[in-house]
Amino acid sequence: MIEPTSNRKASPKMLDAPKVSKRTKGIAIALSVASALGFSSLGTPAKASAPVTISVVLAAPPLPASMLAEFTKATGITVKWTQLDWDSLQTKIAAAATANTYFADATDVDWSRVGQLGKLNWFLPMEKYVDTKALASDMPQLGSFTKNGHVVGIPYDASFMVSTVNKALFAKAGITKMPTTIDEYTADLKTLKAKNVVQYPLNIPFAAAEGLSTYWYETTGAFGGHILDAAGKPLFTDPTSAGYKAAAWMVNAIKTGLVPPGNINVADSQGQQTLMAKGKTASTFSDYSGNVGSLYDVPASSSVVNQVQYLATPGATGVASNLGNPDGIGIPAKAKNPEAAAKFISWFTDGKNMADFAGANGTAHTWVGYFFPSRLSGIAILNKKGSIIGGDVLAGMLKNSAAVFPQGAPAWYPEFSGAVYTNLHAAAAGTMTVDAAIKAIGAVATKLSSGK
Amino acid sequence: MKKKIDLLPYFLVSPLIVFIIFLALTPAFFTTIAAFFKVQPLNPPTHFSGLQNFRDIFSSAEVVSSFGNTLLYILIGVTLSTILGIFFAVVLQRKFKGRSILIAVLILPWALPGVVEGILWTGIWDANTGVLNSVLKSLHVISHYQVFLGQNKFLTILAIEVVQVWQITPLSAILILAVLQNIPDDLYEAATIDGSNSRKSFRHITMPLIRPGIAIAVVQAIIATLNIFDQPYILNGAASTANSLAMETYAVSFTNLNFGQGYALSLLITIFTLFVSVVVAKFIYKKVEY
Repeated sequence: MIEPTSNRKASPKMLDAPKVSKRTKGIAIALSVASALGFSSLGTPAKASAPVTISVVLAAPPLPASMLAEFTKATGITVKWTQLDWDSLQTKIAAAATANTYFADATDVDWSRVGQLGKLNWFLPMEKYVDTKALASDMPQLGSFTKNGHVVGIPYDASFMVSTVNKALFAKAGITKMPTTIDEYTADLKTLKAKNVVQYPLNIPFAAAEGLSTYWYETTGAFGGHILDAAGKPLFTDPTSAGYKAAAWMVNAIKTGLVPPGNINVADSQGQQTLMAKGKTASTFSDYSGNVGSLYDVPASSSVVNQVQYLATPGATGVASNLGNPDGIGIPAKAKNPEAAAKFISWFTDGKNMADFAGANGTAHTWVGYFFPSRLSGIAILNKKGSIIGGDVLAGMLKNSAAVFPQGAPAWYPEFSGAVYTNLHAAAAGTMTVDAAIKAIGAVATKLSSGK
Repeated sequence: MKKKIDLLPYFLVSPLIVFIIFLALTPAFFTTIAAFFKVQPLNPPTHFSGLQNFRDIFSSAEVVSSFGNTLLYILIGVTLSTILGIFFAVVLQRKFKGRSILIAVLILPWALPGVVEGILWTGIWDANTGVLNSVLKSLHVISHYQVFLGQNKFLTILAIEVVQVWQITPLSAILILAVLQNIPDDLYEAATIDGSNSRKSFRHITMPLIRPGIAIAVVQAIIATLNIFDQPYILNGAASTANSLAMETYAVSFTNLNFGQGYALSLLITIFTLFVSVVVAKFIYKKVEY
């Protein structure tokens, strides 16, 4: 029988403990105690006289170093910028707030989270730090960031959802007149496929993530309807409703081969970067305003430079409205330097600076991925300089833009959105029908809006 | 003569004890208590709710689905990582040129964060632009690109778990290798003299004696697969085809802000982990001792 290793005798050499001098012992003990207790001093705040550094966390790449340096020179405040993907950032904000701990001095306040953040008081009221009344007339979307009389965040871009088309691919299919209705748009996509210009003409990000929900909201708007009523009840459960038709249209698009089958796991930005920007799809029905200038026309990231243009969103009977998707920035309740963060936010949302971010003052000041200033004064500077790519079309769309939830995003929006993207994804994957998916989403909205 | 107590060992382990108390035991204690309370910031107040959180969990289709998915992750992950761990340990036991380099390369996936691995493997599994599709099409194995993730539940979970196996196998291999190197050579020499071939020696000497290492490797694989999060989250989003218990805990807690249910789910995962780990460890160690 084989003896297990654990029963073998240890050698005398193994049993001899090494001799330790008193001095070594003393040092070891001191180090141990210090390391055991020392961690408590890690969170000690910096002295008041020390230079202030604030942490800014956004789902966007850092501002140009030259712009940040200008801010530091003017205020003495250094900005440590961290970029996170949007979904992860929302989780981190929630986790830090519920743990009642510091996360950042300034971070994202998305339009869809205003209801929740406002109800939970996770962010400091901005009216305490910034003259929000004076801002209101220059910042049309500020109202969307206000909950219970408090401004939760300041919008820093006025992004909204738009349709984009690759006009070169459309032209190759013989389509010269751009569609104005969803029927014409669908017919054009089928033509693109039939003529084998592209195998899969339409980009819809069916990954179970926020981008899928957003796409459905925009498509629902195009079909002429809304998602929820003023009480938060679902408006999409009837098969004749816009929301139902939008879901059916999207799922049908992947089932009939208009959308690449692989898009079942493609997220919004991934589809824009790897499909639209590479000419593998010819259109994105719900794209982001600014993507033509910041992605499709950038040679480093695109092989379709000067080919993609904005398209007035085709609707049920004609051009539809575009739904707003603005990003805001606010100060978490546990920020270490709220005053410094407020100074940064004031500078960050200054009209002239926003125009610079959008390219009004040369590439050195241009912020990669920036969409559209949230201040009318910023847009005016850009228009004056003629610096907006597709500016005329975008300006027209902005006039025609509307809020996803006219009554404001409900506090339970994240759970609702989770139901939207998991069920629409399942319908696209074929594991449930569109009808079952819509019923499941409707049941969640009904439950949440009734406060259960 | 009065025995002098040596305090040095206690001081040396004191940092670890402090960390365990504050970062493991204290949160575990509060989680256990809070699992029996309704904790919903959007729907206050917080109050004692008995077993309601547990009842709600088991009546949720998403949680039940994630439980089934997690069992599949465990089954595939533990089996593959243990078999591969034994294989690599046996290969690495022999001395050959470049062995140290191979060990360093082998350990690399273990050192990478799960998120990074998920992103790396997206480039392999991607149905539109993935390397695997490209290679298979070039070799004329497939005529058009295939969808590996998101449609078929088993295929999706298998593809995701392969990524985790790639991550956890190095640790399994190192744990088994450590035990393997303790086996004295004279046992193999004696077996050879008695007419044993290498296959018989592996079966009757190596396998019984590396069981302690296998037990630890299996337990760490169970813990890792039971808590799988990064890989399915990156590769398959929040879709129910492959969502895990850890992902569901995250969604319940941080998307739905239902912390009471989140605590209850965490508590169940902890109890399940402890139970399975203890059973597996005991079972395998017993086999060694006969």
